[in-house]
Amino acid sequence: MSTVETSAAIAAIVGAVVAVVGCAWHVRWMFSLPFKGDVATAKGSASKGVMYAYTLGMAPWEKESTRRHMVGYLRGVLFHVGIFAALVVFVASPWATVIWPSVRLLLAAVACLGGIAGLLGLAARFGEHNLRAISTKDDYFAVALVSLFVLTSALAVLSPSAVPVFYVVSAVTLVYLPFGKVRHCVYFFFSRFAFGVFFGHRGVIEGARSQ
Amino acid sequence: MGKSDNTELTKKARELLRKQVDRKLAAALETCVRCGICAESCHYYVADPRPEHVPAYRAEKLRQIYRGLFDPIGRIAPGWVGAVPVSDQMLDSLVETSFASCTMCRRCTVNCPMGVDNALVVRAIRSLLTATGRAPEMLEQLAEAAIMREEGLEYIKDLFLEQIAELENELREKVGDLKARIPVEEQGAEILYVALSGAHTILPASVLFYATGTSWSLSLFEAANYGVFLGDTPRAKRITQRIVDEATRLGVKEVVVSECGHAYTTLRWEAPNWFGKPFPFRVRSLVEVMAEWIEKGKLKLDPTRNRLAVTYHDSCNLARNSGLIEEPRTILNACVTDFREMTPNKQHNYCCGGGAGLVALPEFSEQRLNAGKPKVKQIKATGASIVAASCDNCRHQLGELNEHYEMGVEVIGLAELVVNALVLDKGRVPGKEPVVAATV
Amino acid sequence: MSNADVVLDLKGLLCPIPVVKVSQAIKSLPVGGVIEATATDPGVLADIPAWTRTTGHELISIERQEKLINFKVRKVK
Ligand code: SF4
Ligand code: SF4
Repeated sequence: MSTVETSAAIAAIVGAVVAVVGCAWHVRWMFSLPFKGDVATAKGSASKGVMYAYTLGMAPWEKESTRRHMVGYLRGVLFHVGIFAALVVFVASPWATVIWPSVRLLLAAVACLGGIAGLLGLAARFGEHNLRAISTKDDYFAVALVSLFVLTSALAVLSPSAVPVFYVVSAVTLVYLPFGKVRHCVYFFFSRFAFGVFFGHRGVIEGARSQ
Repeated sequence: MGKSDNTELTKKARELLRKQVDRKLAAALETCVRCGICAESCHYYVADPRPEHVPAYRAEKLRQIYRGLFDPIGRIAPGWVGAVPVSDQMLDSLVETSFASCTMCRRCTVNCPMGVDNALVVRAIRSLLTATGRAPEMLEQLAEAAIMREEGLEYIKDLFLEQIAELENELREKVGDLKARIPVEEQGAEILYVALSGAHTILPASVLFYATGTSWSLSLFEAANYGVFLGDTPRAKRITQRIVDEATRLGVKEVVVSECGHAYTTLRWEAPNWFGKPFPFRVRSLVEVMAEWIEKGKLKLDPTRNRLAVTYHDSCNLARNSGLIEEPRTILNACVTDFREMTPNKQHNYCCGGGAGLVALPEFSEQRLNAGKPKVKQIKATGASIVAASCDNCRHQLGELNEHYEMGVEVIGLAELVVNALVLDKGRVPGKEPVVAATV
Repeated sequence: MSNADVVLDLKGLLCPIPVVKVSQAIKSLPVGGVIEATATDPGVLADIPAWTRTTGHELISIERQEKLINFKVRKVK
């Protein structure tokens, strides 16, 4: 391993540690905040509501908004699938050479599509006036950075020479994760949980309604 | 404004926000990814598609403050995450954002892929504004008047009883029975019925309680709770306390709330959590009680007495926020011959624009009437000539929309429709005159 | 003839709108000015006294005549 490769790998490990510790901090902070169980008599089931929130409730056909914005929503889904592929590449990268070529090709293809979806999302953020009005600089930067992370993962899985670049990009992305909007990856679970409890307990979600 | 003022204000805002940020609010503040998918779910945006009407735009206003106060990056590099320092000007601008351009209907929440509860965020803004003396005067006055109704009960009670005596006469005329009563402070009654201050919420219910032989007592207090609209939980709790005390004093088994969205949501879902325990009585809406009467065959109804086409406006509080979705349909299918759903409906229904206290704020009537446009379109598409609504704020708003947009419909409550279809014992029907003619 | 500065017709309006209208109208009056109003919703019988007590204005009179409720309020501050 060259010095460059070693330094990139160390940076990536540091990044991963920062990301994990940062996320753990956010989780700990959330659990330190008050969360009172609902004492009002239930009309439906909170647990069924939570189940719905994490599963069927995420289906694109379930909401008027996602039916209407199907392209945008699927672009987002593709982007996130790409992120997962990139994370797999990141974790598996030390053993990249022993991974079957067909799996490597698949990961690269998914990451590539995901990265493109991310960039298209970024373009939409620049182009649509609604999105411009609600976006912060962090929003643009985070999408650009994560898209780059996803795209370089595609390169890395195909060619070992791209691995140091991927590691450096990963390091920056992972270090940034707990500080910028990317941390929604932690809060998402809390938000969907609260959603499921609220609408499940009150019997608004059909599958969670009693009687 | 001097710098020291801002320092004081910032300190106050920090304290107020810190008190409010629980896990649910933190999730709502942290999870939004600004994807903008929620835009068209908001009736304000549908009526007038401007970025300011995107739900996330409103919530961002609180996030800007929150990041400046609590987010490390927001403090080091405010511009990067869009953090904004607290100032009088900034807070003043939030009055319109939170009190005039969001009815806290949660249509955006059910449409958000992340489940972000923008209504909770807007409520937190209202709370902040109320605590810093910026809440609309009218909401303050109405909340205080509700408290005064208890504190000055000695003085007000006689006038209230005079009102009830008059209504009792009307009830007797209507049901043709001189023994029919509107009981008040009836010890041992099974139900405490909490109406609004207005005959239209008392008289039809009285007819139905009479027809079903229900043991009931009319509350001395009204169900409306303006403390909720202010985002002022201590005051909202104080207003609710009057009803809880009365129900406990009379030893009722159940408190039934008249057709009113926020009053029901408050007493049914919110208030037990303020008191930290379930109430020793059940809480139901008159809508649930009427549906049960119908299902159990306790009401004899002749739907041909309501022959005109009727559509139903689901109140956001009752349907999307309380799951009262099938009950109104049970009622309508039993008491009218031509019921037409509007699209979308049930928990997906559009807000009429009158919720969250807006009908009591004349200074924002232009925004309110404008935001009602999607509802007008929905109603017109049904071709119905009667719009039933089981929330008083909705009724006010629908009545005004009816006039403003010349819809030519009649707005009516479910209980009135049921009374219109009611057949009393021995085939008698209640007196001919409509229970309540006026809707606005 | 009424000696009121403003006369409001609140007939047909349901609570809390009569209170809202009175509260709005009183703003434009000088201290000592009087509003006279007629309403039909019996809810005002409790709502107007509660509101005047809260806001400190003076309820000069409130009375029912058949289906009409007449009341007079004087602006105090
Ligand atoms: S509230 Fe939800 S739908 Fe709206 S911008 Fe935020 S994440 Fe997207
Ligand atoms: S809660 Fe209702 S009014 Fe408020 S932003 Fe969401 S959709 Fe619009």
